[in-house]
Amino acid sequence: MSETVINFTNFYFKYLNSQLVLKNVNLAIPQGAFTVMAGPSGAGKTTLCKAMLGIVPFYYGGSYSGDIEILGENVKGKRVSDLAMRVGLMLDDYESQLVSLTAGEEVAFSLLNHGFKPQEVAERTKKALTDVGLPGRENYQLDELSGGQRQRLLLASVLAVHPEVLVLDEPVSAMDPDGAKSLYALLYKIYKEYNMTVVVVEHDINNLLPYATHMVIVDNGQIAAKGPVMDAAKVTYDNPVLRENLPRLWQIKFNLEQRFGIKLGDWRSEEEAQEELQEKFQGRISK
Amino acid sequence: MEKQPVLINVPAAKDSHRWVAVTALLLAIGIILHTISPNIGGVTPNWTIAMYSITISLTNPSLSRALGIGFVAGLTIVPSSKSAFPLGNIASELAGATTACLLVKLFLAAHLEKFKFKGFIIGGIATMISGGVFTFILKLVLNLPIMMWVTAMLPVVAIVGVVNGIVTQVLYTPVRRLFFMQGGKKDE
Repeated sequence: MSETVINFTNFYFKYLNSQLVLKNVNLAIPQGAFTVMAGPSGAGKTTLCKAMLGIVPFYYGGSYSGDIEILGENVKGKRVSDLAMRVGLMLDDYESQLVSLTAGEEVAFSLLNHGFKPQEVAERTKKALTDVGLPGRENYQLDELSGGQRQRLLLASVLAVHPEVLVLDEPVSAMDPDGAKSLYALLYKIYKEYNMTVVVVEHDINNLLPYATHMVIVDNGQIAAKGPVMDAAKVTYDNPVLRENLPRLWQIKFNLEQRFGIKLGDWRSEEEAQEELQEKFQGRISK
Repeated sequence: MEKQPVLINVPAAKDSHRWVAVTALLLAIGIILHTISPNIGGVTPNWTIAMYSITISLTNPSLSRALGIGFVAGLTIVPSSKSAFPLGNIASELAGATTACLLVKLFLAAHLEKFKFKGFIIGGIATMISGGVFTFILKLVLNLPIMMWVTAMLPVVAIVGVVNGIVTQVLYTPVRRLFFMQGGKKDE
């Protein structure tokens, strides 16, 4: 996991007619990492996501300084449509990314636009729909699919081009908690199966706790913490302003560590936490 | 104090194919309106001309591209035309689109691209030229006297031109907003 797939160096950005949105961003996303990006609303997370495909600054326009390298290439002068074949992006408003009438056409859209042969388009469409749990739905009209299914369809259309990196901006913002858990479980399965690099921007990262290998905290356009998930979490906890961005379980963990001067495990689920706490505190804490 | 970086300005990307989508959309709307619009006092706005006048104003196409737009616009009118010589629409829309294109270039050359009534002038004159060509072809095909063309047909063409100028002017601003919309934000 040493090679980096996305690299920001001293990157500053402001949209046309706005203040600086990103300030001095130095960030390296390692290959094969499952990176969770969190931070308060308006911190610049979505802009950072868009910069990972060169959409910012080269599509929206604006002013920038510094460099972005994607898969070893500087994004300057690269077409967004070409970068999109290597880095897939799913936005929070998934409906706005759906453009076709049927599920099959939706998945095939970007492949056909890039000149893939019909047979390969059909094969990739079938595989992508199967991967996201929508097998055989090629001929379904989009309005025959539920919101969660449409979200998975969008994921399929991104996966069909076989991107090396997958960037998701608050993909479960319109889903209920069960739907959110199910989508992240599916995403993790795909991440493991295809050995991809995944970046997920999420306001509430509790659902991503079992999967994250790396974490980035964005605050006021700057990177406030980054690195392997536990290192970044510790830095975040040490800053009282940012502490709320951590999963509740880890807030408890760091709090207990601080209070009792102990070292607890890297909990990934409530069950793990419960098991360790029972073991460590059995009989020591009275009600 | 944090050192301010020197920022490089990047213009918003111009979609090289957005004009195709907008042209197709506007022409399609034009056909529908052309089909359902009632005739009021013998005058019906020519929605198709209004629509391509707008799209040409917004995209400032080359003359050959404008001719392409005019040709497609003419073709779309032929099937629903009730005139004695429907194919005349192709020639008239070629003339109308050329006029609109030349007028747009004239406005640019005169630095009047932000002139408030640009839509009215382009839509109105393009309609008058298109209508003039169409009725002249009709005169030739039906072997009508020249005075009938001048005294009976051209005044109607002029009235339709004014009506179309107003239609183009009214539609120009909202369509312009749509055209320059980027990522849900107005960005001109």
